[in-house]
Amino acid sequence: MQQIVSGDQLAFCELYFRYKGRMYYYFYRMLGNSADLANDFLQELFMKIIEKPESYNLAYSFPTWLYSVANNMCKNEYRRRGVRQEYLEYEVLEPRFDFLNDSTIGPEEMIEKIFQTLDQMGEEHRSAFLLRYREGFSIKVVAEILELPEGTVKSRLFYAKKILGEKLEYLKDQIDF
Amino acid sequence: MKNINQDQMFAELLRKDQVGEPNKGIEDRLMYSFLLKNSGSKLKQNSFVSFLGWLFSTQSMGLKAGLVSVMLFFSVMNNQISLESGKVTATDSLFTKRVFVADSTNFIQTIDSIRTDSLN
Repeated sequence: MQQIVSGDQLAFCELYFRYKGRMYYYFYRMLGNSADLANDFLQELFMKIIEKPESYNLAYSFPTWLYSVANNMCKNEYRRRGVRQEYLEYEVLEPRFDFLNDSTIGPEEMIEKIFQTLDQMGEEHRSAFLLRYREGFSIKVVAEILELPEGTVKSRLFYAKKILGEKLEYLKDQIDF
Repeated sequence: MKNINQDQMFAELLRKDQVGEPNKGIEDRLMYSFLLKNSGSKLKQNSFVSFLGWLFSTQSMGLKAGLVSVMLFFSVMNNQISLESGKVTATDSLFTKRVFVADSTNFIQTIDSIRTDSLN
């Protein structure tokens, strides 16, 4: 980041290529699987780095800070849309898992179904789930990114896994990894 | 299912998930923006460039002429009204003359008059 502040284009280029795929995926999955929105937000994120590289908080590692900024952008987008994030009770979600009872489902389709379910649970669960299982961040880092206590992150992951896990258990032998 | 297996399963599933690549145009726009911002900051670092550009341009000629006139006026008048200007430090018990005008012709004449007076 110091090199970027001093105007090193190669450093910026390397940074972009290192994170563009990961950040694109994050935005894509967080913003309703929209490629257009993911592209727009990816551009906006890196424009922030170009315009105000000094806003990087040295207290965090760079990936932690970057995901934190990205997550705040997603939150602002939800606020802009006026989407109400509600915690749906397990009992309410359960009947919607009929798709998982289909033994012919493939991994790709299953992933899509998982995200449909996560969408129903709300962005809080989706972000924690993505950061933990896609990016492989520790609970502590996920908590830093989401600016939440570790206990809350664990609780959200537990809730998401509880719902998805039972269905995956049923189908785990059907999925060809 | 044990938690560790469940975690591995989720991680494996998400790792296989592909959603495509970002638009190539974004990269071009970002690189252009970076260059633009960077060149802008370099120009700001050398603040004399814009001033010198204005100074040697044909803009605001009236203002520039006025400023030059004022500066010239004060530099001339400053010498004219200074008591120390053109003061002859040579002393003579019989004749001492102070010249308040910075004029080389007067200065030479004063020296000559002192010499003449000294001979007398």
